[in-house]
Amino acid sequence: MNRMSRIASLVIWISVLVIGCASEARPELAAEAPNAEKPDVVRLDYATYSPVSLLLKDKGFLEEDLAKDGVKVEWVKSIGSNKALEFLSSSSIDFGSTAGAAALLAKANGNPIRAVYVYSKPEWTALVTRADSGIDKIEDLKGKKVAVARGTDPFIFLLRALDSVGLSDKEVELVQLQHPDGRAALERGDVDAWAGLDPHMATSELEKGSKLFFRNPEWNTWGMLNVREGFAQKYPAYVDRVLAAYERAREHAKRAPAELRASLIKEAKLSDAVADRVLTRTDLTPSTIGDAQKQAILAAGDVLKKSAIVKPETNVEEVATALIDPSFANKLNR
Amino acid sequence: MGFALPLLLLVLWEITTRTGLLPAHALPPPGAIVRTTYDLAASGELLEHVTSTLARVGTGFAFGAGVATLLALITGRSAVLRRLIDPTLQGLRSVPSLAWVPLFLLWLGIGETSKVALIAVGVFFPVYLNLLSGVLAIDPRWIEVGRVFRYEGWDLARHVLIPAALPAYLTGLRSGLGLGFMFVVAAELMGASRGLGYLMVDGQTTSRPELIIAALLLFAVIGKLSDHALERAGARFQRFRA
Repeated sequence: MNRMSRIASLVIWISVLVIGCASEARPELAAEAPNAEKPDVVRLDYATYSPVSLLLKDKGFLEEDLAKDGVKVEWVKSIGSNKALEFLSSSSIDFGSTAGAAALLAKANGNPIRAVYVYSKPEWTALVTRADSGIDKIEDLKGKKVAVARGTDPFIFLLRALDSVGLSDKEVELVQLQHPDGRAALERGDVDAWAGLDPHMATSELEKGSKLFFRNPEWNTWGMLNVREGFAQKYPAYVDRVLAAYERAREHAKRAPAELRASLIKEAKLSDAVADRVLTRTDLTPSTIGDAQKQAILAAGDVLKKSAIVKPETNVEEVATALIDPSFANKLNR
Repeated sequence: MGFALPLLLLVLWEITTRTGLLPAHALPPPGAIVRTTYDLAASGELLEHVTSTLARVGTGFAFGAGVATLLALITGRSAVLRRLIDPTLQGLRSVPSLAWVPLFLLWLGIGETSKVALIAVGVFFPVYLNLLSGVLAIDPRWIEVGRVFRYEGWDLARHVLIPAALPAYLTGLRSGLGLGFMFVVAAELMGASRGLGYLMVDGQTTSRPELIIAALLLFAVIGKLSDHALERAGARFQRFRA
């Protein structure tokens, strides 16, 4: 084969590939109108930062309900908001658990999701350091190494904390590490501080004596359940069903905290004391989604612009409005 | 001629994203990528990422290729040492290099050391294997000539072994460099705050696929350029040898 024909055949192959991928993506985009069809399977994430998701998975409330229609349920573990958002973006899951501000960041950058439910109002993040590091306040972080999982609530919390004392994210060395790795790096001394996330944070606190040197419950931006827009448009009735199951799990958790605790301990392999610490910082009371969440994530929006993680021309208010969709949660019987 | 294919792909790409055939959150249009790259370059951030990646590859390459050269020369010249060392190295070669990651993280932490070490491991094997086979294939008469000049040890390596095994050595160095670039991505995935691999993770975690693609294209350009540079340097030495 001469060179020309080799190139030509390569071009053809690649075109076939591109067209193949494109036509695969098309049915999803075309099916925008709501219909009575049912999905073969509903895919949700579960995460140690969302104890309710663990209880829901253990109790099988959703499986129980959807079995009536012959719809299967698949569970995928998410180890951070950024991962849940990645899965949502690639249509690997239909429902993903994230922090509100993390969902805002993803939505602003084009991830087609809607936040439809609140699974907790937690204080799950804070700035953490080793007991002997000599870091006592945010200002001490200047020039230090800080582990953080970008695109998550702890990341946005850290940016806001730095911003509040006039430090930019360039004056600190941010080391990209997923939550469990960040904890390990802190404990090993590879980094000076860590923007932590429960239950890893509570584990480090209780088992290694790490200290939470900066806390601010108000800057924790709620635990939100997001749905892919494609799924919500195609199967709105199933969004209702998923939320109903979530609501049932949340009510169950409030009535039987011991079972919630057991689910958390089982999945995250925690000691009793750590699980208790996590749960005291997790408020399961609120479940309506609306203005309170919007205000909380709007407050996080400015710092995202300042650090150029969302484009400067982004209208954060508009994005937040498009993100938060209370219509499904409002239908729940409370 | 080599530009025709990328150009065609670019056109196809622009069309598929413009028409909404592929959603922009999965594959941003070329324009968005150009803009992202430009913004990064204008803020000076890009240079920082590129230099730290190059520094890592450079250091790792120097270590990996250096140790590989030394070992290949030793095992190439001494049958006893070859029988002693070579089987172990061949065994270690079968360990997929990425399998070292957890161990390196444990031993060396997430700093530069573990990154450079991982790259060095990646570079080591192709250089070692190619140079060794090159040395073993040297015509014994060349070495005789070296003996006449009373070359021993390093002098023999410098004046006879390396020049004689140069084509194989260069092949090893070039594939080593290619692997070095492969491993720098893996290295920068394991906790970094700078570098092109870090840029990719940043794009991944903050829903900005344009960053991922920008970093990918930069890898392609830089990889190609450095390979070209190595090839040119090699050609010069080849002439020198002749």
